[in-house]
Amino acid sequence: MKRRLISAIGVAGMMISLAACGGDNGDGDGKAGADGYAGQTLTVWVMDGSSPDQWQKDVAAAFEKKTKAKVKFQIQQWNGIQQKLTTALSEENPPDVFEIGNTQTPAYAKTGGLADLADLKSEIGGEWTASLNESSIFEGKQYAAPWYFANRVVLYNKKVWADAGIKDTPKTRDEFYADLKQIGEKTDAEPIYLPGQNWYHFVGLTIGEGVQLVKEQDGKYVSNLADPKVAAAMETYKKFQALSKAPKDKDEATPQQGEVFGKGNVGAFIGMGWEAGIAIKANPKIEKEIGYFTIPGATADKPEGVFLGGSNLAVAAGSKKQELAKEFLKIALSDTYEGELAKLNGVIPNKEALQSNLKGNEVAEAAAPAAAGGGTTPLIPEWAAVENAPNPVKTYMTAVLNGKSPAAAAKQVEDEFNKRLAQQQ
Amino acid sequence: MTVQTERPPSGPVDVAKTTPGRSGGGRPATGKRPGALVPYLLLLPACAATVLLLGWPLLKDVLLSFQNLNMAQLIQHVTEWNGVENYRQVLTGEDFWRVTLRSILFTAVNVVLIMVAGTLIGLLLARLGKRMRITLMMGLVLAWAMPVVAASTVYQWLFAQRFGVVNWVLDKLGWHSMADYSWTSSQMSTFFVVTLLIVWMSIPFVAINLYAATTTIPSELYEAASLDGAGVWKSFTTVTMPFLRPFLYATTFLEVIWVFKAFVQVFTINGGGPDRLTEILPVYAYIEGVGNQHYGMGAAIAVLTILILLGLTAYYLRIVLKQEEDEL
Repeated sequence: MKRRLISAIGVAGMMISLAACGGDNGDGDGKAGADGYAGQTLTVWVMDGSSPDQWQKDVAAAFEKKTKAKVKFQIQQWNGIQQKLTTALSEENPPDVFEIGNTQTPAYAKTGGLADLADLKSEIGGEWTASLNESSIFEGKQYAAPWYFANRVVLYNKKVWADAGIKDTPKTRDEFYADLKQIGEKTDAEPIYLPGQNWYHFVGLTIGEGVQLVKEQDGKYVSNLADPKVAAAMETYKKFQALSKAPKDKDEATPQQGEVFGKGNVGAFIGMGWEAGIAIKANPKIEKEIGYFTIPGATADKPEGVFLGGSNLAVAAGSKKQELAKEFLKIALSDTYEGELAKLNGVIPNKEALQSNLKGNEVAEAAAPAAAGGGTTPLIPEWAAVENAPNPVKTYMTAVLNGKSPAAAAKQVEDEFNKRLAQQQ
Repeated sequence: MTVQTERPPSGPVDVAKTTPGRSGGGRPATGKRPGALVPYLLLLPACAATVLLLGWPLLKDVLLSFQNLNMAQLIQHVTEWNGVENYRQVLTGEDFWRVTLRSILFTAVNVVLIMVAGTLIGLLLARLGKRMRITLMMGLVLAWAMPVVAASTVYQWLFAQRFGVVNWVLDKLGWHSMADYSWTSSQMSTFFVVTLLIVWMSIPFVAINLYAATTTIPSELYEAASLDGAGVWKSFTTVTMPFLRPFLYATTFLEVIWVFKAFVQVFTINGGGPDRLTEILPVYAYIEGVGNQHYGMGAAIAVLTILILLGLTAYYLRIVLKQEEDEL
């Protein structure tokens, strides 16, 4: 009997090796009411760090005043967002409005998960900057609304730079390197914190070299990592990475580079302006030491290429509150609140006319010179799959940093890269 | 042995045949007693839970594995059957076979380490004095009770490149090249950390089980053995081992299952990296399925994983069932 029990336990144990997942929730509300939208709640997903608490509070108040409905902001993390978003969009009650990265928008537009916003575009989108609106348009239709854009800058610790005897911020790549070297020699601080997989910065470097990560071949997109210009961008990255003790196989979020910088013993890092907030949260005393400058390019007249990161706001096609969601977008993207966001976060707003909000903002003034030469990863639906972990671009970077030649590293990840670009949709 | 070879090879049929004879004894086979339904009623909750929580997902998984299910299909709720296309792609790609071989080797190494260390600690428990035994037991139970994700996180911190305790200690001990060593940078070092974690978490079960088994051995047997002139080794092999054997089989069998599907440990430590070199089958299924949003493909890999696991454990299952036969 005892042994039969043991064998039964064994079989049960084996069965448990199957993963179970699922879960749905269904409470049906959301009629476009006759008496305003009183009693309804709109769910809005925003990404971590993208909209300050103050902005959320102000927008929620304005929204409630106009529609009588409430808005609930839910903060999401970038890591693993695509899987989460796909699942959420497939459910009965998706988030009504959500923030979506510009490079991910075409793929989601193609899935049919995003509502068509043509009427919103004609109502409020007349002045949207065309280049910023590009990622929201798929096959001629408007599937999202441009929200904000930002590019990376150098955040540096003024005290460390002063200790090393450096008076001015660098204007060229070589000066930047020499300054960091000097920090390494004259102080015991780490000159720069640059983990091996800060791939957004790497994309910026490739844009600076004037090259894309994919190319079209026989009507299909394939890896372009073997291009000598990509290799040149990677060599630049490697040169600077060698000055850092950061792990070669981690990205800027593990650990958060802002936190490492916050300890006060790091000369600089390349990041978004708002990452200063992470450092200040970790160590409030660092606030007065943080300075910003444009990432210097090869020559003084042209800053480094940057990845023009941006986010759009989209409405879920499956949302039962389409009208209310559009009301929300009209408020959130209105000049008042779009301007406020630009001012608070130092990000580029979706209209040229609102750029006056950036005046006097240290971050924005450091970021602006590079923005003109900024770019994105290719805005094609096939791209989103490349960003899924393990991202082959990150693998490529780590391989080169660990001593492989760029050509060999490109060859190593090519199959995986191409497989993702060709992935059945 | 000759008796066994004459029997039909399938164990369960045999068990079904012999069970009524054994438990029923002299009662009429018709079973009209009022209590005859009770055993089935008692089994019902367990069966219902199994069907609901395991059978249903399993069925869904099998159905998904015959579909082309990606982002678009999932979001729009369309079902696109594509026959055995997923299986064809998985089975003809070399990735799957490489991962399968890796999974089997990974399981073998871990299970051997767990069983050897666990058995030794189990025997140690039996020989310790009361106070030390309780201390050791407490330690084992605490390691065992630790939630997997929490344990994985602690190991991640221990082995962190810049701020990890392990590198700090190695550096202080004079091994300076380890001061900034990245444990997740290569396949073997990642597997080392994962294996350490899994072995550490699995030893308590084996050790406590084995210790429990030793308490069932009557001490007279040892006396008799020593009267017959048996030394320590002899009495271990002739008295202790025969009692432990069924427990060793059962725990090995369970450990094979548990290690084979050790998704959480492998995934949290390094996500199957670097460069996808530490993906074992469940991690591979997740990365292809959920990670790459290629859900049909992931489901096909999961089904194949179950089949492989069944194949691996068939041998143990047979031994256990055979033992039962011998006992009857």
